[in-house]
Amino acid sequence: MIITSAKPLEEILEILKDEDDIFIIGCNVCAAKLKTGGEPEVLDMCRRLEEHGKHVLGWALPTAACSIRSYESLVEKNEKIKEAHCVLVMGCGSGVSATSNVVDLPVYGSNNTLSLGGSSSGKLLTNQCIMCGDCTVGDFGGLCPKSQCPKGLLNGPCGGSVAGKCEVNREDDCVWALIYERLKKINRLDLLYVIHAPKEHAFK
Amino acid sequence: MLFNFREKLNSSKFLVTAEISPPKGTNVSTPLEDAIQLKGLADALNVTDNQCSIMHMSSLAFSKLLLDEGHEVIMQLTCRDRNRIGLQSDLLGAYALGLRNVCVMTGDFPSCGDHPGSKPVYDLDSVQLLELVRKLDKGIDLAGNKLDGGTCFCMGAVSGINPQEVLQLIKLGKKVGCGADFIQTQAVYDVGMFEEFVESTAHLDVPILAGLIPLKSLRMAEYMNEHISGIHVPEEILSRLKTASDPVEEGFSIASGTIKELTKLCRGVHIMPIGSHKNTPRLLSMAGISPK
Repeated sequence: MIITSAKPLEEILEILKDEDDIFIIGCNVCAAKLKTGGEPEVLDMCRRLEEHGKHVLGWALPTAACSIRSYESLVEKNEKIKEAHCVLVMGCGSGVSATSNVVDLPVYGSNNTLSLGGSSSGKLLTNQCIMCGDCTVGDFGGLCPKSQCPKGLLNGPCGGSVAGKCEVNREDDCVWALIYERLKKINRLDLLYVIHAPKEHAFK
Repeated sequence: MLFNFREKLNSSKFLVTAEISPPKGTNVSTPLEDAIQLKGLADALNVTDNQCSIMHMSSLAFSKLLLDEGHEVIMQLTCRDRNRIGLQSDLLGAYALGLRNVCVMTGDFPSCGDHPGSKPVYDLDSVQLLELVRKLDKGIDLAGNKLDGGTCFCMGAVSGINPQEVLQLIKLGKKVGCGADFIQTQAVYDVGMFEEFVESTAHLDVPILAGLIPLKSLRMAEYMNEHISGIHVPEEILSRLKTASDPVEEGFSIASGTIKELTKLCRGVHIMPIGSHKNTPRLLSMAGISPK
């Protein structure tokens, strides 16, 4: 799941200050789960923009904003898009970009995209993976230090990690403390002694 | 006569290194004057690399200025601001300018400093950076390309001192395994804890320079306990500062006492005063360390 947060309305109004006749596209997958782009949020956005003097011509809720088949498929959902002068996508950054591929209008996003995450036992999990394209997560008991450590350190915690807490945010667990517990549980503490080489970065 | 820092590390002498910060701006007169007070006292000056993520003049440039003034210099290098290309090119540049000692560390996260929105790089971590320096020493770069002239750095790394932090100790083992020539530690206030740390790392057989930050007040000590990673000021020191009529003087008395105890435990001290080195000569003299 792509983790998003809704931009404040003031910022969205600033983005749209020279725009009108807006068509809104929500996302019924990740953004709906996170309440940043499902039907209730889309309807709420329509109402709030109207309250601020903007004309919202209509909206559509594709299964996933990042996987819109074609412009025609949007027209099929709501042909009001034909009259629109711009589109506001309430999905992740990928949803905004993918929409730009099929719509020949200015396209804006209403969310900030934060990380690749998920949820487990009702708890939201952020920063689960940075999609580095060079996965070695098994070496760390299944918890990725590249994504869950703010510094992405592969060879153990930094000096800022104290009593299992992260230097950057003392409320957060240091992922290296979690990795230690995981490796202990699966009887693989030997992996802590491995010297890991730098990741190979490539534009993919 | 011992001359360079590597030779001194190999000697039996109790070493003194002193941290010095490049200026925030282009006026280098104040830190250069500060450094003069340490001539004949410090075995090397250790130049910070945008410490606490607060933007300063580059460590490389200021290290070279100190070198020109006849100081033995250790250039700090963090992983925070440069990718592997930047790190290697700075290391080659530093060597060509005559710098022979580096001390590498991860680096505080940018959000701690005065440009909190800057992009954190950390392309390499400190262990990987140590490995990289050793490659340059062998005349090859990280990608395996042959260099037209390699380096020969005396290379330090840093460590916390809490023997209970198992992961930190494992990482220290990796750093030594990568060839660190010396270890500079976080500030020591709890000598008992430091002694345990020294015992638990004895198998690594690496010279350890104990960090030292003289305390100036009870408030400073409490702040450090609360906010500075890995620092533990014990209750006994807190109460000494609390009851002292002159806390600054008491701080020096505490620090000089600590140095005296450290001479029996490790290879040297690394002094990091808040502000200038104005009082460092007196502190060392109180600890029985006289100019050479």
